[in-house]
Amino acid sequence: MKRLILFVVFLSFNLTANSILIKSGQIHDGQGDSFIGDILITDNKIVEVGKFLNSSSAKVIEARGKPVTPGLISPISNLGVVEINALDVTNDDEPDFFGPGFSVFNAFNPHSTLIPWNRSNGVTSSISTPGYSSHIFKGMGSFFLLDGNLEITGDPDVAMYSRIGATGGSRAETIQIMESMFELAKNKDGVELEDLLETTFASSLDMQLQDIEALARVVNKEIPLVLEVNRASDILQALRLKKEFDLDLVLMSVEEAPLVLDQILASGVSVIIDPMDNIPDSFDELASNIKLGGILSNAGIKVMFSTQRSHNYHLMRQGAGNAVAHGMTYQAGISGMTSIVADVFNIQDRGSIKEGYFADIVIWNEDPLEPSAYPTTVIINGSEISLETRASRLTERYTDKRDIPSSYKH
Amino acid sequence: MLLIYSCSEGIEVSQSSTVDAAVKSTSFDRDPFESNYKPLASERTLIKSVNLYDGLGNEFSNFDVLFDNGIIEEIGKDIVDGNATIIDAKGKWLTPGIIDIHSHMGVYPAPGVRTSSDGNEATSPITAEVWAEHSVWTQDPQFSLALKGGVTAFHVLPGSANLMGGRGATFKNIPRNTIHDMKFPGAPHSLKMACGENPKRVYGNRGSAPSTRMGNMAGYRKAWINASDYQRRKNEYTSKSDEAKELIDPPKRNLELDTLAGVLDGEILVQNHCYRADEMAMMIEMSKEFDYKITAFHHAVEAYKIADLLADEGICGALWADWWGFKHEAYDMVPANIAIVDQARGGKGCAIVHSDDEVGIQHLNQEAAKALSAGLRAGYEISKARAIKWITSNPAKAAGILDQTGTIEIGKDADLVIWSKNPFSVYALAEYVFIDGAEAFVRGEKQTQPVTDFDLGIINPSDERASL
Repeated sequence: MKRLILFVVFLSFNLTANSILIKSGQIHDGQGDSFIGDILITDNKIVEVGKFLNSSSAKVIEARGKPVTPGLISPISNLGVVEINALDVTNDDEPDFFGPGFSVFNAFNPHSTLIPWNRSNGVTSSISTPGYSSHIFKGMGSFFLLDGNLEITGDPDVAMYSRIGATGGSRAETIQIMESMFELAKNKDGVELEDLLETTFASSLDMQLQDIEALARVVNKEIPLVLEVNRASDILQALRLKKEFDLDLVLMSVEEAPLVLDQILASGVSVIIDPMDNIPDSFDELASNIKLGGILSNAGIKVMFSTQRSHNYHLMRQGAGNAVAHGMTYQAGISGMTSIVADVFNIQDRGSIKEGYFADIVIWNEDPLEPSAYPTTVIINGSEISLETRASRLTERYTDKRDIPSSYKH
Repeated sequence: MLLIYSCSEGIEVSQSSTVDAAVKSTSFDRDPFESNYKPLASERTLIKSVNLYDGLGNEFSNFDVLFDNGIIEEIGKDIVDGNATIIDAKGKWLTPGIIDIHSHMGVYPAPGVRTSSDGNEATSPITAEVWAEHSVWTQDPQFSLALKGGVTAFHVLPGSANLMGGRGATFKNIPRNTIHDMKFPGAPHSLKMACGENPKRVYGNRGSAPSTRMGNMAGYRKAWINASDYQRRKNEYTSKSDEAKELIDPPKRNLELDTLAGVLDGEILVQNHCYRADEMAMMIEMSKEFDYKITAFHHAVEAYKIADLLADEGICGALWADWWGFKHEAYDMVPANIAIVDQARGGKGCAIVHSDDEVGIQHLNQEAAKALSAGLRAGYEISKARAIKWITSNPAKAAGILDQTGTIEIGKDADLVIWSKNPFSVYALAEYVFIDGAEAFVRGEKQTQPVTDFDLGIINPSDERASL
């Protein structure tokens, strides 16, 4: 059936079809072991992955044995919603009014300079998330394709964000409030939402209709809750909440996870970690260790990667590389930046090099886990993307040796 | 016994000081907190069949390096020595110890809590009188993490809230109980200066000067005028005859101006936090106005815009491979920044990869790999043997310790790292880190890895934090 549909599409668009054939790449498809093969792309989809593929109409890109991966998906970023961190007028990730109901989606700026920079480094899509919030729930993150088009390709409100850990007050209270908010959102008695908001609890937290609706999506398992948590005892609390409220839970940071490895594995949650952060930054993360990625992944837990550095989300590659250097398998390193992110956040038909999937593909000059690696070709939704960035323009200007003011070099 | 002796000695000095008070107040102890560093016990060691980058720009394959009593004795092929402990390092790589010219370890230790965040005396825009070493917490677990990344020496600076933030100091990376036992012997102090957004934000938000970049400039210049005056009065006094000195009071010591006069005298090196090219150019002009030298611009995201000027002035750029955008003055990042600074005026530039970060300091080799890759993409021909200078000899030069360390040369301190693979690879791990010829860190050998007091029994009483 699927094959038939593809065939029809192919026929009907044959004359105008935009086809690309990647020849002889070392394909890391995001699923299994790598292999040498070809990839045929027509319009925005991968139509065939195999050996000795031919196409008379396709533009051929010779990969010559270089690594080919799915476009990287940043599972947590502020792409498109923050331009310069310390300049608040360029930030749209921090809500003033809403709590869990806050959505970053409408703020997304496809013209942010971060987007060409990150995609030229291999990140083809991302989940952009809320930043600091005074609420216990920070709001919802959205999925975006980094093609730079003003017509945004994305998916609003794909996950909710919160954290358990050291506060000025007590983490016990954080957990109590979370529990009460989940109870409220479960709305077991089927009360009108307006009436729920009238309750002392909801009104004292300044909860709005949008907040309740968003939390209802969490307790109804429509979207995952991404909970930043580090201390071993807090991780167990998070797992208890998952069980009690039947949540689709993703844990983030989890620096003390090796102390509660069995419980995490049994719960089936996946995790987002920064493998390079081995600093005991707080008393919540004393067990911080550079082997974290390997320990979790080798135990069978799905691991995705974040990076401490704002603006450089591609540096999850360096994080994955360090995780591999300290015991993670290479394949887990690649899939943690691609297919696992797509699976966990229900991003349809992306994150793998697979027939029928959207063609978000990167060809690298060398092993993409090496810090020195860079993409030679980036394809998003079947289109080859320019690798030019503001940084490359500045580099050209300042390596131009003509004896005229730099302002005339363009 | 020792303690009593020290105390009595102290009393004796203070009694005698009344006799020659005038002399003492001007020929004061210029480094009253001097290094008491002693190397760890070491063995005569011969590293065999290693590939090496010497930190001078050369690469050698299958070389041997012999060191004894903490000093490199011989470098070459097929060295035979019956008395040395032999380490077979075939297929592995040897580099000089990694040096970070910009660290806040100890002054911003982990955990990063209020009670030990001692890196910024942000109470006045000019605090040249404070010394970073007086804030360093010796039990900071970050030291040993950096050691695992091959870091053998590091320069600790005060933060950048102030125009003149105080003195920085250099340390050997062997965690010990007192800071005097860690200070790098003979290393000069630095003066931390800061341009741009930070000082004007910190003080401007309080409604006090500086609140603008022109306010920043006025602030430095006022301080240098005071320093010049202090230096002149001090020199006038010291140039007088002993008889003349007895007739007048010596100028009163001033801690702030001691530091600034030390810069004017060329004894204290200026490490200048500065992002924007136009501001760096102004800082250079100001250094000529008051006749002092800037050793390095730190962070300098726009250094590539004035790379030739930096090379002409002999100023190093201490830079990140790719940080940007966290503030406005860091917006114009180019990944070839380090390479462009390095290659200025036909390779006369001084480029340094610095960390300013407790994670980055553990992977300076990877940061150099990124910077090198970007330089090659920008069309420069730069060898790995040259790029290793960015994290070894160039930071050693900027810290004023190049005579002792930073290269693999006969007569230098045996501060060395054996890497499992080529150090420009993410998969390379430091297997041995030698400081003054002693095994400061050996991967896989628990007894040869420092564990701070902080690490001990803090999660589980019977365990060490770092060993998990």
